Amino acid sequence: MTRTLQTTSVGSFPKPPHLIRARARFRRNEITAEELRQAERQATLDVIRLQEELGIDILVHGEMERGDMVAYFAENWNGFALSLPVRSYGNRYYHKPVVEGPISFKGAPGLTVPAWQTAQALTNKPLKGMLTGPYTICDWSFNDYYPDRRSLVLELAHMVHEEAMALAQSGATHIQIDEPAISTRPRELDLAIEAMAIVTRDLPAHTISHICYGDFETIYPALLDLPVDQLDLEATNGHFHLLDVLASTPWPSHKELALGVVDVHSHRMESVDEVKAGILRALEIIPPQLLFIDPDCGLKTRTWDEAVGKLRVMTQAVQAVRDETGLD
Amino acid sequence: MRITTVGTFPKIAKDHGPSVRTATQRFERRAINATDLDQGFRDVTQRVLGIAAENRLDLTTDGLIRWNDLFDGVVRDIDNVTSAGLLRFLDNNFYYRHPVIRGRLSYQGGVLRWWHQQAQQLSSVPLKVVLPGPLTFLKLAEDDSYHNRDRLLSDLVEVLRLEARSLRDLGAAEIQWDEPALAYYPGWDVHEVTDVLASLLQDAGIPQAIALYWGPNVHSWIDPLSQIGFDRVYCDAVSDPEVVPYLEHTTVQAEVGLGLIDSRQVSRESVATTARLVERVLAVHGDHKVWLHPNGGLELLPPDRAEQKVQLLASIRDAIEGRHEGGLTS
Repeated sequence: MTRTLQTTSVGSFPKPPHLIRARARFRRNEITAEELRQAERQATLDVIRLQEELGIDILVHGEMERGDMVAYFAENWNGFALSLPVRSYGNRYYHKPVVEGPISFKGAPGLTVPAWQTAQALTNKPLKGMLTGPYTICDWSFNDYYPDRRSLVLELAHMVHEEAMALAQSGATHIQIDEPAISTRPRELDLAIEAMAIVTRDLPAHTISHICYGDFETIYPALLDLPVDQLDLEATNGHFHLLDVLASTPWPSHKELALGVVDVHSHRMESVDEVKAGILRALEIIPPQLLFIDPDCGLKTRTWDEAVGKLRVMTQAVQAVRDETGLD
Repeated sequence: MRITTVGTFPKIAKDHGPSVRTATQRFERRAINATDLDQGFRDVTQRVLGIAAENRLDLTTDGLIRWNDLFDGVVRDIDNVTSAGLLRFLDNNFYYRHPVIRGRLSYQGGVLRWWHQQAQQLSSVPLKVVLPGPLTFLKLAEDDSYHNRDRLLSDLVEVLRLEARSLRDLGAAEIQWDEPALAYYPGWDVHEVTDVLASLLQDAGIPQAIALYWGPNVHSWIDPLSQIGFDRVYCDAVSDPEVVPYLEHTTVQAEVGLGLIDSRQVSRESVATTARLVERVLAVHGDHKVWLHPNGGLELLPPDRAEQKVQLLASIRDAIEGRHEGGLTS
């Protein structure tokens, strides 16, 4: 019987100092690509060991090879140029890609496969293949080539589909297609759904989409039509107001929910009790077999110690809920 | 025709110049102290104001270099408001900490006044201050205390007026109230909006402008907002393409700003095409009543592209003036 309240992570982990140094040295041509890969592999091993030690059920590889979830694909696909950094909040910046020509693969699809294979070889637990969705890649890029957003989104959808198929053919059983931008323009939700249908069509894997920092009220319950098996939504940042939104409609029996229960943009460490309270509230509206628990978003903005602390609180809270409710 | 900026500018340099990002990182690593960090803010502000001067802007912001987001400064100046979780700012990949109102609002002041004072010392261009308008503040904040819209709005207007008065006393050239929510969200009660904003403008003693951007509902606000006493109405004419046709056929009391330079796209607008659009409005409203500006803050662009957009303002003005003097050269 499948365990209830399975735990997972959203994607990125903080890069350890040795990898930050290696990335800087690689940019200055002081080390080779292979030496950088070696540093990434070491960091990935640390991420896998940590998750296993904490008893997390579905693992991520930590995205040590990626600087940014959109720029990573733009750097490695044809048609994109990278801009100078643009601020997204606080002191966080990203290289916003510029679509300057027709987009295509450099060679065959499968950009994300080697990192997934390397990480999966380190654990017997399922490890998610991580992709960024077509709507978000479009929304977080400057479009200086395609005549409209729809043309670009649908073109991207076919590419992300091929990338997802490459992951599945390599053995990935869980594939996450992140779409944090999906709530940006409620009037374009249908376009995002149409694009996701292209991505997940005939994909032989359990599919997940992570969405965060948006106005869920404007896209719910229509969001339930997103053709993925699991929605992964941030809740802590909004003081679990998300649950009030979700309570407006009976939760469908065919859809899983992964609920973010620790804030990844705050240094403050949540207490086990407050995380437990959030999970218990969620259980009032989501059946336990459909409820997964994770942080609000990727952990790369935290220090390593903060990330460990938050994941530890999360797993302890899940165990406390299991103990209290008798769930297993 | 005059040219201005209407909001933020990137906090990093296009090359190896001063950078708030670097200074903040170094401060967090304890590599520099608070004085050095403050100098970092001053250096970047000076660079932004230098770009404004080089391009002969008639009026400028300080780039809001010290602000984390549109609400940051006033949240620091008002008692019983705190910054909470991150939310997407309208339809941008930019996130603000939404204000949470936890008690009756009162004015503490000091922060914005000090920030403006610092920028004034560095500026050779008349300097305006950008403040969030009460309706956008209300729409994007969380009320954890009043649970009564009218009372909250009334107090909010009062504290924002105190903020504006404090900045007026320092000699700010203009208060620009940002009300993107009016442009972005449909369904406003026009009478409520004009009543609230008219009350905001009372006894101003300083030119007051309103900026409407990032939504399709801009042109319909121009006349009602002009009638209640705004000196200038800055309009995002990219998100609402009806702005130019509307102003070709309607005269209004206020000066009008044409936000024809897209602050969310890297592509460079054509000088000739943009000049022709501006001239259609100039023909109706006259040279002294029309401004050209980006349609919003330039911080959504990389720093090199943001600077190009400021240069573009000057190029378009030069082109229009050149045409008037005997031929469009660009």
